[in-house]
Amino acid sequence: MDLEVKMKWAQTASPEELQAELEKITKFKDESWVNLNSLSAQKVYVDDKIKGLTKILPTLRMINDEADNLVGTIKNISASSDKISAEIKTLDTARSRIEECQKRVSDLIDLELCAQGVQKAINDEDYETGAGHIHRFLSIDQNLLTKTAADVEKASGIQKAVLTLKDAASQLQAIVQHRFDEAIRNVDLGTIERFFKIFPLLGMHDEGIRCFCQYLSTKIEEAAVKNMSIALNTSISDKRQPVVFADTLTLLFEGLARMIDTHQPLIETYYGPGRLLSAVSILQNECDKQCNRIMLEFNKNRQLNRKISLINEVNTGGSFSKLDRLDPKDLDILIGEMTVMHMRAELYIRYIRRKVTADLEISTNDDDEKRIKLEELEKVIKNSHLTQSKHELLGNYLRLEQYFMEESIGKAVNMDTFDTSSDQQTSSLVDDTFFIIRKCIRRAISTGSLDGCCAIINTGCRVLESDYCAVLKNKLKQGYPSGYLDLTQAYNVLQTSLQQGRLQPSDAEQARTTFLVALNNGDVSTEYVEALCDSVIQEIDQVMPNMKTNDRGKLESCLSGLSSVTTNLKDVIDYGMQQLRSSAVKPRVNPWVDAFLNVNHQFTEDELSAYEAGVPFVQTLMFNLDSLLSTLKAYLTPTNYDTLVGLVTSEITSRLEKVILKTTYNRLGGLILDKEVRMLAGYLTTSTSWSMRDKFARLTQIATILNLEKVSEIADYWGSHEGALTWRLTPSELRTIMGLRMDFKVEDIRRLKL
Amino acid sequence: MEDYKFLFKVVLVGNAGVGKTCLVRRFTQGLFPPGQGATIGVDFMIKTVEVDNERVKLQIWDTAGQERFRSITQSYYRSAHALILVYDISCQPTFDCLPDWLREIEEYASSKVLRILVGNKIDREDREIPRHVGEDFAQQHNMYFLETSAKEAENVEKLFMQIAQDLMEQARSKDLLRYDSNTTRIEGKTSSISDSNCCSKLA
Repeated sequence: MDLEVKMKWAQTASPEELQAELEKITKFKDESWVNLNSLSAQKVYVDDKIKGLTKILPTLRMINDEADNLVGTIKNISASSDKISAEIKTLDTARSRIEECQKRVSDLIDLELCAQGVQKAINDEDYETGAGHIHRFLSIDQNLLTKTAADVEKASGIQKAVLTLKDAASQLQAIVQHRFDEAIRNVDLGTIERFFKIFPLLGMHDEGIRCFCQYLSTKIEEAAVKNMSIALNTSISDKRQPVVFADTLTLLFEGLARMIDTHQPLIETYYGPGRLLSAVSILQNECDKQCNRIMLEFNKNRQLNRKISLINEVNTGGSFSKLDRLDPKDLDILIGEMTVMHMRAELYIRYIRRKVTADLEISTNDDDEKRIKLEELEKVIKNSHLTQSKHELLGNYLRLEQYFMEESIGKAVNMDTFDTSSDQQTSSLVDDTFFIIRKCIRRAISTGSLDGCCAIINTGCRVLESDYCAVLKNKLKQGYPSGYLDLTQAYNVLQTSLQQGRLQPSDAEQARTTFLVALNNGDVSTEYVEALCDSVIQEIDQVMPNMKTNDRGKLESCLSGLSSVTTNLKDVIDYGMQQLRSSAVKPRVNPWVDAFLNVNHQFTEDELSAYEAGVPFVQTLMFNLDSLLSTLKAYLTPTNYDTLVGLVTSEITSRLEKVILKTTYNRLGGLILDKEVRMLAGYLTTSTSWSMRDKFARLTQIATILNLEKVSEIADYWGSHEGALTWRLTPSELRTIMGLRMDFKVEDIRRLKL
Repeated sequence: MEDYKFLFKVVLVGNAGVGKTCLVRRFTQGLFPPGQGATIGVDFMIKTVEVDNERVKLQIWDTAGQERFRSITQSYYRSAHALILVYDISCQPTFDCLPDWLREIEEYASSKVLRILVGNKIDREDREIPRHVGEDFAQQHNMYFLETSAKEAENVEKLFMQIAQDLMEQARSKDLLRYDSNTTRIEGKTSSISDSNCCSKLA
């Protein structure tokens, strides 16, 4: 602040403000004083430093001069070393030129030698030496050779040698080709191998591989024809007859694999690595041819087309009689053979892929080249007849397998039996159905095709979800027998038959059993579905390790479809339980509960002690329930039984609530009611593995209200304070209930703040 | 864990070479791979999209058109929520086969499946099937209709987004009636898929 401004301010400021300002200024003055003191104290020290620096100055000047000298020297050294290195470079060039020259000279000498030697070798039929010469000739840079020829005076000699060698090369090539073909015709193994080794020396790598593989192809054909005729002549009674085509196909693949295994080292030694792809592509042609032949014979002999068309007829609801329908059991072996054939083809393709990839890995480090070659391999595989036959085989297999599954399960439905003497709670249908589905999926896994597995899983899912659930639901639709509505009678029948240790197959009883068994079937099926999904994923992981994430997603999606069948099964069980509720539970339980109305809940002290001793209403109810539940317990799975108890409990609580509200109470009546509700809740809770208390929440609260000492006592339970209940009753319901206590005054209840 | 509220299965069918795979690639990866080889069996792609601020997971099953894969591909029809039937507008035979495809769909798919007819390759000059012919066919058979180009990315996004939207509305309206036994179908499927913790929260 300017002094002037400050003065103006001072005139208007209050004494307190002035005082404060003064203190501030004083404080500033003190601080300034301290600062000044410390500065003057430092003066001596700073002076010292300055003196010291003045002394050092001349020394620094000297150092600077010396450094300049040093720079000069280093510059000199660098210049001379540059000169030296330039000279070394020149020397180097000179040396490499000399080397090149030497090489050219030796090339020329060799050329001369080769030219002289080759003709002699050809004449002597010493093709190895001849090819060696040619090989040497081919390894000489041809461009350089012509250039040398132009440089040298004796040009004509060199040109002549080159011409001779070129001639000799084509001559040799022709001879080798010819002799090789001849050797193949004569099946002269030694000669074949001899010339096979000469091909690469003449720069005829592709040619050599092609010729050699063609030769191998003839060997494959020979073996295949022989195997086929053995296969076709296998007698019907032979043990291998049912899988004879799978055997033939296996022999073909094994033969091929053995051939590749034996000859790969040979090819690698004489032709270098990376040649397997072209060899395999040539062999694949023969493989395709033989494979087609086997598949044709297979289709013809196993009458595959007829079977497929029969199946299609059945699927499209054709008018075929039962007689023409194929028995799934007869397809079993054929399906088995097809899975083996598919797996073999799959394994062979994997083998080829592995072999060629490994060969490519060592042949080149160029990733692009590798990628192109691998794509080429995939193309060879994808376009092969083998792959196509494999797909067709899989398609046909799936048709048969789907038919097999549907028909077998249809059979299982028709043959469904319930063994009353055993302690099983389900009928044969469940075990049979899941056995079949599991078998089919396992078989699909054994084809080695993930798409195949997924398709069969989908089929299994469809059959379970629609056909199987429909069968269960139909059984439940017929309902719990109406004759059973007269419950005591039916109950007595049941009791006597139980005592006799066997069931009288009366109609009503059979219907009752059918119904309960269907319920159990549903329940056990949900467990089976889950177990099935778990085991399938484990088995697939074993057969197809290292699945791609996409494939895995595919599989998981299909499996989750299968596991969702449990939702449908639960719907079916739910449906059945509702049936049971309306036909068996409601009609029986209601009259028992209604008996409550016969009990006067306005007790005198004397009546109370008499009643309390027996609590006859609840005792009777519990006795009745006990007999109802215990008879059913033996026939239901634990889960179904628990569901039933839940159902009974809901029925009782809702009915009891109604009749409780129709009765009036005094203090002692409320006491008894509370006791009755507690006993009932306790009984039902011990009947099952889950607690039923939740279902009793409203009833317990009603009993609590009716058991109050006086109206105001409700404040202990109502409200937001500690100890208050979470009410399931609305305030108006609460008032109505309190109104049932004859000794509560209406205006007290009305006055309550809820 | 992946977060989505709805999961729908969409299956593409149609003759070989009409561009099913290209449509799927275009939609899921934004690519148009030329020289696409024939699909083997069934391919499977996933894309999660957002409709009305809800995440919807589309599971797209791209089936092989070739006859020999029919027994594999047919097994996927039943669980499909939507079926896209594709033909090539520049290739009459692919259109002529549509009735056959419809017969297959009738036989194997759920009757409530959402069906869409798609004429693909509208980038091509040599059109053989006029737009109105495809439209009429779709109308006759109670299908949605759309012409697309996977190459030019035309209508591809629209196709799948429309499907997602429709299926979501369907699922929501069914949700209101979830205790009706006839409508549990879609939910049953949806809630069961994968390990998502929330896909069953259709409520």
